[in-house]
Amino acid sequence: MRLNLRGALGTTTCCDGCPHNGYGMNIFRKEKKEKSIIAIKEQRAAYVFLIPAFLGLSLITYLPLLAALIVGFTDLTVFMLVRGEAPSFVGLENFRFIFTNPSINFLNSIYVTIYFALFAIISSVIYSMFIAVLLNRKMPGRTFLRAVFYIPYILPSAAVMISWFFLLRYEGGLVNYILVNMGFDRVHFLSSADTVIPALVMIAVWTCGNLIVIFLAGLQNVPRVYMEAAEVDGANFWQRFWRITIPCMTPIIFFNMLMSLVVNLQVVVPALAVTSGGPGQSTMFMTYLLYHFGPRTGQYAFASAMAFVFFLISALLAAVIFLTSKSWIFYEGDDK
Amino acid sequence: MSGFVKSSERKLSTQKFGGLQSKRRTNTVFNIISFILIVSIAAVVLLPIWWIFRSSVMGSQGIFLWPPTFFPLGTLNVTEWLWSNYIINPASFNFWLNLRNSLTITVPCVIFGTATAISCAYAFARLRFRGKKFLFSLCVGSMLMPAAVTLVPLYMAWSALGLVPSYWPLILPYLCGGGAFNIFLLRQFIRTVPRELDEAAKIDGAGYFRTLVSIIVPSIKSAIIVVALLIFITTWNDLLQQMIYIHSRESYTMVLGLTSFFGTFRTDFAGMFAATVMTILPPLVIYIFGQRYFVEGIVMTGMKN
Repeated sequence: MRLNLRGALGTTTCCDGCPHNGYGMNIFRKEKKEKSIIAIKEQRAAYVFLIPAFLGLSLITYLPLLAALIVGFTDLTVFMLVRGEAPSFVGLENFRFIFTNPSINFLNSIYVTIYFALFAIISSVIYSMFIAVLLNRKMPGRTFLRAVFYIPYILPSAAVMISWFFLLRYEGGLVNYILVNMGFDRVHFLSSADTVIPALVMIAVWTCGNLIVIFLAGLQNVPRVYMEAAEVDGANFWQRFWRITIPCMTPIIFFNMLMSLVVNLQVVVPALAVTSGGPGQSTMFMTYLLYHFGPRTGQYAFASAMAFVFFLISALLAAVIFLTSKSWIFYEGDDK
Repeated sequence: MSGFVKSSERKLSTQKFGGLQSKRRTNTVFNIISFILIVSIAAVVLLPIWWIFRSSVMGSQGIFLWPPTFFPLGTLNVTEWLWSNYIINPASFNFWLNLRNSLTITVPCVIFGTATAISCAYAFARLRFRGKKFLFSLCVGSMLMPAAVTLVPLYMAWSALGLVPSYWPLILPYLCGGGAFNIFLLRQFIRTVPRELDEAAKIDGAGYFRTLVSIIVPSIKSAIIVVALLIFITTWNDLLQQMIYIHSRESYTMVLGLTSFFGTFRTDFAGMFAATVMTILPPLVIYIFGQRYFVEGIVMTGMKN
């Protein structure tokens, strides 16, 4: 009887696969006995609909990942592929090589990548949250203003980098002109090893319109009831922001941090378009090294070993965000 | 005694009204301050884009004038601006050829990427099947996979297939799914479509494909536009992949053409800026047309899980 009731409920709600409701799966199991033909047809249709996407996922994402992990332990190069020679396993030799060879300076590359990524994630999440909260208020021209902040995101990053290269020039750059007029000293920005990463972070922050939009989407879901209750209780803007908006937004902050992590760890366009890894080796990002050792020079084994390390680092950082998330993410309905 | 009561009453009432009024006043002040703040930040955000355009209609000498002028050549008279910068020697930046090449890549990517993303999202949003949770987490999990990791094996695979250099390695991945984020976004939208519509279609005898095409797709038009635009922008802007798989000048895309122009012709700054404007323009125009779907579309879904 109880099961039947559940089944009846389940057909009217649309919560299939939704973590808050197990009914969807229950009816499926139950219906399989009674009207298995419909269920099987539905399942078959679903798999057909999924074929293209999962063909892509397996061939473009998961299988190459596996390949990268394997090739990293062999001595494969482009010449061996051309000559048709079989690669042999060399154990950890590639890893020893990339970490100890001073001309590769892989540790430096890891350092600058992580430095840039963490700096960029934190700055762009704070900036986009701030802008989103401001844009969420009622004001004249709100739609237009929202559209403006998305523009940098849609521009080709190569064009963006080249334009910023000119804006940040030491001689005659607009930013330095403004700085001088405000009474500051000129800054080298992209032409000095100390300032190049902060300058690139600034550009990354300028570009993060997608995070703003996702934050805006999240702000729509902050329950108005809480806000009104707090207002009645006399909470001011800051109190409401810290006690209601931020806790309700933690899942979105979490999502944006992960998205931002993936994007910023793969940073490569500044190096490809403008800096070529310089000044010095201060923008030798990991993806740039991968590009150099893989497609450019065909040292597949070294490149795959680097990709393996890259994968470990990104998994590690994602794991840190995931594991700490339990302590700071607030889900509605939690007693905390 | 009575005087005391009166005074306390008065005190209470003034406190009450005074409190409300001051609150309203601080709110207005706050609104004005936040409006000014956001408008000035928006101006700062737009400034670099204006600067690129400004520099593109000045001569090579004008660009390095000190102090720099806000308007091109210090004048608002459009006829005095050096539009001739936009006539770039095709040997260094061939606009029409690059545009055609870029579109050869982006158009199939947009069409097939959007179509396959819709079909996948429909299955995840509406249909029941074994292993749904697992497949969905595989799909969403791929968002966390840096594409750089698969760069080398994919390059090896494409060259083994003899497809390097060609456009195929840039197009074929989009025939399969068009990105996990897009699938996720479309799934969120499809879940907002009332299930009654599906049921009605089913009763009328429509199959799953028919339901998808004639019920779901028309009701999530704005989301489809968003996804199509996102795919257009990612494929148009993807410098790394294009650098890897495109080798000859005749097949250069817009961003590749611009980058190589920047690398080799560093003296022709006016042409450089004109080329930058030309590279930026197509995504910008498309964004301006689709803008009302774009931001508001994503915002309205609420990205609820």
